[in-house]
Amino acid sequence: MQDATPLPAIVLKDLQKYYPPPRTGIRAYLQPFERATRPALQGVTFEVQEGEAVALLGANGAGKSTILRILATLLIPTRGQAFVAGHDTAKDPRAVRRKLGYHAGSDQGFYPRLTGRQNLLFFGQLNHLTRAQAQNRIAELGEQFHLTDALDQQVRTLSSGTTQRLSLARALLHKPTVLLLDEPTRSLDAIAAAEFRRFLAKEVLRGARTCLLFASHALSEIEQLAHRVAVIHQGQLAAFDTVSGLLARTKTANLEQAFFQLTGSVNLFERFEHLDHKDRPQ
Amino acid sequence: MKNWRELWLYFWRDLMIAKTYRIPFVMDAMQALFGATMFFYAARFVDSPQLRSELPQPGGYFAFALVGWVFFDYLGVAMDTFDQSLVEARDSGTLEHLLVTQTSLPLMLAGSAIYPFLITTLRIAIYLVWGALLFHFPLGAANWIGVIVVLAASLLSFSGLGILSASYLLLFKRGNPAKWLLIGLWGIAGGMLFPVTILPDWLQLIAKLNPMTHALNAMRAALLGGAGLAQLLPAIELLLLFAMVLLPLSMLVFYWTLERTKATGTLSHR
Repeated sequence: MQDATPLPAIVLKDLQKYYPPPRTGIRAYLQPFERATRPALQGVTFEVQEGEAVALLGANGAGKSTILRILATLLIPTRGQAFVAGHDTAKDPRAVRRKLGYHAGSDQGFYPRLTGRQNLLFFGQLNHLTRAQAQNRIAELGEQFHLTDALDQQVRTLSSGTTQRLSLARALLHKPTVLLLDEPTRSLDAIAAAEFRRFLAKEVLRGARTCLLFASHALSEIEQLAHRVAVIHQGQLAAFDTVSGLLARTKTANLEQAFFQLTGSVNLFERFEHLDHKDRPQ
Repeated sequence: MKNWRELWLYFWRDLMIAKTYRIPFVMDAMQALFGATMFFYAARFVDSPQLRSELPQPGGYFAFALVGWVFFDYLGVAMDTFDQSLVEARDSGTLEHLLVTQTSLPLMLAGSAIYPFLITTLRIAIYLVWGALLFHFPLGAANWIGVIVVLAASLLSFSGLGILSASYLLLFKRGNPAKWLLIGLWGIAGGMLFPVTILPDWLQLIAKLNPMTHALNAMRAALLGGAGLAQLLPAIELLLLFAMVLLPLSMLVFYWTLERTKATGTLSHR
């Protein structure tokens, strides 16, 4: 009898990533051949199901972007494996890329002298949409993300928030089954961020059954979007549970307190709380 | 079919970007005029019956030097274009987004080279047209099929070196000193502005081993001497042999380098 259980959309198995130490001057020539000794990920294991949204929560440098970049086939793990829709990211990256939509938090990556529409047409067709399909999808997403006016302007003239919306539209153009978003609402104003979250929840997660893995520092965003949260601390998985599960486990009242507790920053948190009360204007 | 479409997409991208800069087109045409004028007067100054007797093809020193200069420019583009595409993609942040699409690496490299090659072809044509219109550059004898075949064989062989140079840049994040050394040496021992027969013996030996010498000789023979394909065949075979070794080797090295930068996490580092 055949097993009808669908494959998890994302699987991380004992994922480890080490980087070589940074070098400058003449020693920089040796860096590509140096042993990777600086840990970024130390054995992270979890699964994300189809239609599920999982948030990566962690301090700066915890390893969230490293996980996303390994899944996007931009990094090769040192040890362990990562799978997207059953395909190993290191062994079969082209099959992985067929399933992916990726938005990088730091670098929007557009051709500044092309218009938003030209950029989206280019990337959409590289993802094997026909020109007509790409044009229809651009019109659809342009309306959804309030980009209609911006689409015909050169990207270099757009604000950082608009460029970010354009980048999110690019990630969704070819209707990927797995969506990786690194700080998706970082440069967005409150209204645009709320609209984007609504769009993700309604159209992407419920409508298209897309799997979403996103890194965010916005706790309200995580509470609103994520079915489960992967708390990453110093390259390790500190916890992987629903928001309510994390609160119950840590016996805390909100996600911020739970995060501090799980990452061992509780003393720091209490100090901040104390300072906050003392320094608050009367 | 899909591959052709992707190649077209890269060309379309570069064409659209170039359209936003209009003045460089005009400046290129003017630069070609100034270049052709400079070579014409330099040739008038140095030309003599003795010099003409040293040159392998008719047309005098002006034709010899102009072909050497513009063709050297062409092969320089083959060496530079992959580096430049890589640097632009890395600096604009598009490199990672290209690598996340479903396009393949060879298509990405080939696609990024189409526009620079075509625009350089156009620049060369402008040089030759200025030369022919104003300074009697002899185009009448040219074997154009021979010119195209030599050009294609040379581009293939020199592109391999260009991809190797891009691999170096990707790995070490800085310009490749070997490339500059090679281009400098080719300029001297390649017969760009003077026949290699006037060089000392040891430099003539380097010239014989230098594919640039063979490419330039074949190009002059086809363009100025109207040499047929049979006469050009030895040089074409040599250039294709060079391409058959260098292109697969350079692609392998580029793949390895890309994997290495993905392992070290330095793909987008500058």
